[in-house]
Order: sequence, then C-alpha cells, then structure tokens
Amino acid sequence: MKTTIRIFYWLLALTLAPQIAFAIDSQNLPDAPSGIVTIKTIDPVRLVGYTVGDIIEREVILTIKQPYKLIETSLPIAGYEKRYKGQVIGIELKSVSHTKKEHSGNATFDIKLAYQIFTNNIVAKNAALGPEYLNLINTKNSKDLVKFRIPSLDIAISPIAIFGQVKIENNMSPLRGPLLLSSIKENQWLKLSNGILAISLLGLLYILGQRAWLPRMGGTFAKTHRAIRKLPSTPEGLKQAVSKVHESLNTSAEMSVFSNNVAIFLAKKPNFSPMTGEIDQFFSLSRQVYFEPNAAHNLGANPLRWLQDFTRRCRDCERGLLPETLTQKSGR
Amino acid sequence: MSDRQLADWRNHALNLESEVNKVVVGQQTPIRLITTSIFARGHVLLEGDVGVGKTTLLRAFTRGIGGGYQRIEGTIDLMPNDLVYHTYLGEDGKPHVSAGPLLMSGENLSVFFFNEINRARPQVHSLLLRVMAERSLSAFNSEHYFPHMIVFADRNQVEKEETFEIPSAARDRFMMEIPIVVPKDDGIMEALVFDTKFHNVDALVNTVKADVLQFDQLNAFSSVIQDHVEASDTLKKYALNLWKATKAPLDYGVKVSGVDMNRLVLSGASPRGMSMMLRAARVNAWLNERTAVLPEDIHAVFHSTIAHRLVFSPVYEMRRTEIAREMLVGIVNAVAAP
Repeated sequence: MKTTIRIFYWLLALTLAPQIAFAIDSQNLPDAPSGIVTIKTIDPVRLVGYTVGDIIEREVILTIKQPYKLIETSLPIAGYEKRYKGQVIGIELKSVSHTKKEHSGNATFDIKLAYQIFTNNIVAKNAALGPEYLNLINTKNSKDLVKFRIPSLDIAISPIAIFGQVKIENNMSPLRGPLLLSSIKENQWLKLSNGILAISLLGLLYILGQRAWLPRMGGTFAKTHRAIRKLPSTPEGLKQAVSKVHESLNTSAEMSVFSNNVAIFLAKKPNFSPMTGEIDQFFSLSRQVYFEPNAAHNLGANPLRWLQDFTRRCRDCERGLLPETLTQKSGR
Repeated sequence: MSDRQLADWRNHALNLESEVNKVVVGQQTPIRLITTSIFARGHVLLEGDVGVGKTTLLRAFTRGIGGGYQRIEGTIDLMPNDLVYHTYLGEDGKPHVSAGPLLMSGENLSVFFFNEINRARPQVHSLLLRVMAERSLSAFNSEHYFPHMIVFADRNQVEKEETFEIPSAARDRFMMEIPIVVPKDDGIMEALVFDTKFHNVDALVNTVKADVLQFDQLNAFSSVIQDHVEASDTLKKYALNLWKATKAPLDYGVKVSGVDMNRLVLSGASPRGMSMMLRAARVNAWLNERTAVLPEDIHAVFHSTIAHRLVFSPVYEMRRTEIAREMLVGIVNAVAAP
C-alpha cells in the first residue's frame, strides 16, 4: 500500500513537473537585455471614440536576436479578459495570430492582436490595450529566461449617446463624426427653381420671340409683324402694311373682316377683345389709305410705326397673351 | 354744290328718317333703305306679310317728301288700262273718263304703290315696267311724264295661288327688294297692339312733318350725290369681285347648306343691278357723312340690291329667300377688300 501511494506521488510529480516549470509568472522574470528585441507596432489611427462592440486591431512586429528565442506558449491567449487592479476592465482579446520568419541571426514574429470592447460609460473614459508580456529563452542556457513587455496602447472609450438633451449641431466634440446635412430638400428646390427659371425664360422668349419655333408662334400676325418691320416708311409701304394686316385679320377670322363685322370677329376670337379700340383705329387708317384719302385718322405722323405696334399686340393676342398697355398710341 | 349744301340735305334726309321712325316703329333698317332708294332714285320691291305697315310706311315717306301718292291693288282681273284711266257713268247719265292712279297726280306723282303686284297679270307688269324704266306713258294721244315717281311694289311671298311670279327681267328693274318683317322686340309689338295712336293710320301719318324734302329737287340732288361720292380703285375691284362671286360663288369658296352649288346659280347679278348697287352704296356713304364709298356701304345695300336679281335653278326657287341670304352672306365673308 505504501508502495502504491509512493508510486502515485511520483507519477503525480512527474505529471505536474513541466507545468510547474512553464507556469512561471512572466512579470517576475527579468527584462530582456537591451538590444535583443526590436519592436515595431502598427496601431490604429483613431484612438478615441470606441464603444461597446468595437474591435481594435494591433500588429506587433518583433525581431528577436539569437541566442534568444520566443517561447510561443507565452503569447497571450484569445478570450482573456483584461484586468486592472484585479477588476475586469471590459476589454477582451478577441483573437491572436502570428507568423514567424527565421533569419540567420534573428527571427521575426508578426503578431496580430484583436481586442473587443465590452464596456461603456455615460462619459468618455480612458482604457488601455495591453500591456502583453512575452517570455524569451536563451537557447544556449535554458535557465536564462527573460520577459519582454509589449507596451500598452491608450485609447478612449466613448458613450454611445450623450447624456441628457443635447443639440447635436452644438456638439463640437471631435469624437463625433462630421454632421452631414441632408441636401435632398435643397436639391429638390434647386431642380424646381431651375424648372421655373427655364419656363420663365421660355415664356420670355415666347413673348419676345420673332420666330416660329414654338407652338402658336407662327401665327398670321407674327408673320405680318415681321413683314411690316421690313417695309419702308413710304405711302406704298404703308399700303402694303395695311393690306397685310387685312389679310391677317381675314385669315385669323376665316372670313373677311370689315369695320361692320368686327363684333363677329371678336366673338370668334375673344383673345382680341382688348384690341377692340385699336381695331377700329386700324379700319379708320385703312379707310384713309384705300378708300377715302380725305378721311382723317388719329394715328399721328407715322402710321407705319403704329401698325408695327398694333400687329405686335395682335400677335400677343394670337398667342393667348394679354397685350401690353400702349403708353403712346401714335406718332412715335 | 358746296359741302354745306350736301350737309344740309343730309340733315333733311336724317330728319325725314326720324319722322318716319316715329310712326313706323322697329323698322329702322327698311326705313334707311327706303331713304337710300329715294336719294338713289330707284324703285323698290317690298316683301312682307300682310299688315306689317308697308302702306303706312310709304304714306309717311310720301308726306315727308311731298308730291302725289297713288296706290293700286293688284288683282287677277286688273288690266293695264286700269292704271291709266277708269270710265263711269256720271250724274248726267253720260259716260265719263277720268285719270287713273298713274295720271291722277300728273308730273307731281312721287310715290306709286302697287300692292300685291304678283296678283296682277303679266300685261299689267309690262305697263308698269315701262313706266318704271322710262318714267313716261302714252295715253290719250299724248305723252305723260312722271319724272319724280318712285314705284314701290309689294309682293306676298307666302300665298302662291292665283299669282303671277314677276320674271327676273322685271325684278331687275327694281333697285331694291326690302323685307318688311314684324319687329321682334316685345315692347314694340305691345305698342303696335295696345297703343291707340297706331290704330288710326290717317291720324298717324298726319303726325309726320310734311315736305321735309322737296320731291321735285330729288333728281337733281341725286346726281350731285353720285358725282360727289367717289369710289376708289380698291373699292371698284372689290365690287367687281362681288359681282363675279354672284355668278360663280363656288370659285370664291361660297357654299350654301343643302345646295348643289354647281347647279344653283343660273344667272348672277346684272350690270344694271351692280350699277344700282353702287348708286345705293354712294347714297349710303353720303348719309354716313363720307365722301367715298367703303365696303361697308356696299354691305349695307348688298343684299337688298342683289338678292332679287339672282336667278336660281327652278328646284331651288321655293327656297329663294333663305338661299339668297345665305349665299350673299357667304360672298361678303369670302371676298376681301383690299
């Protein structure tokens, strides 16, 4: 029985011996001699504004000179919750991976660490990733064990939302991303304004246009107005102009218009109603030019100019527009 | 004659119109046309129903222009000599001959009204047409003249039995055919029925100022009007186009609903008809204080001077009034001036 118990203890001792040997607390080991380990870290650019659920990645590149080499089992273990003064700080090493490259006098380890945040606060607070400790062993002297400290990375953990009622536009915190204003409404207004502007320009061209490139622009009075503008200010020119206006009236009314059936013309073409008085004036001019030279008209010394204005206003009526008020009816 | 005299005559003419308008209400257009025919010295065919005031109208005009007024009723047994004389047995038991309506007023006859002319025989028409054309008559071995006479004839277009249609050549002698219709205004219609002043025609006619015009000066003054009122080349061209359109309306795009335009017109307006139209248009221009004829002056007399001259295919004669009106309105609408 004693023998059995003794054997059990020996077996237990043999079983636990290596574990005891490797379960050395790294922090109690002496630091690695200077010059043995070269470290380079690739840290995230943003060190603030992290909140629960965020994953922060670090890359540590270690170059370890011989005769020391990394005890790879001392690499941090995924799932380990970081503590500060024995308290869980809410940062967990989510994953760790590394690659190793052997060189003639050294070895390079590329260690990738990913931490995940599991904490939050109503105000921003400091936190740190790491430090991590690695153990090195002198291959020429197995009792020469040293540690190497991967420095911690300070970050700031931000709250998910600002506590209390805050006007977001006034929050100038750099932790908050730029506030993007919605431009949908402005874009809609811009399009609407452009549309109105285009229609207005079109309307202006429609009113002022001399050509016939829009519907109802090529009316008979538009053509007559263009023709009259080219006629010379002579008795013969005036005669032609009056004749052309007669043609336009007849074409527009689809019948011969005379001073005694203007009412019929206006009933057929009510757009011309504002021109009633001027149509009567035109017939008085026609009477003088074609039938009764002694008859008087009150159109001043330049009736051809009056006819130009008259046909322009008739053209407006023809286009369904309200003709502008004549400020000066004759003799311009 | 000076412009002042022309204006004076115009005032008299308008005064006459005004006087006649007082006793014959709601007939402004026929009154204007009769005034025009008086100054154009043209005979007039009146068209209208019975009792619309044709006789009153003519008597009122006669009183205004002075001179003699004679009237005869057209009947189927009327003979030409009935216009010239009639015979009777006198108190002395002997046969006597006295002047008929044509001769009764002598040269002072100014208005001769032939009522229901289409009831008279063609022989009567022949005599009348000669008197109308020549204003003279041979009777009792002497020539009788009626230099101031205007004939107004009435024809009943509704009744056709025992009537003799006036041939187109006879119609052409009349300067105008003027429709006289019952006024449509309710107030006027009521007045015609209930206003007692319209019941006594003699008293009514006597209210017209007498001798507003001098009937024996009308011929001379008519010539003055015709000489004084001008017609421009444009107007002449317009009148010619109207004339052509009466002959070939289809060439001017004139159509009448329900009528084959290729068959409608057998003969358009005659040269005499067109000259009468222009005479009347000149008078209309003068009445409107113009020194030249305008297309509007022609329009004012176009229908009354042309419609009765058109000769339609017999198949369309029954609808003459309606077709002529629509065709002439179409011509006025189709022909442009200038």
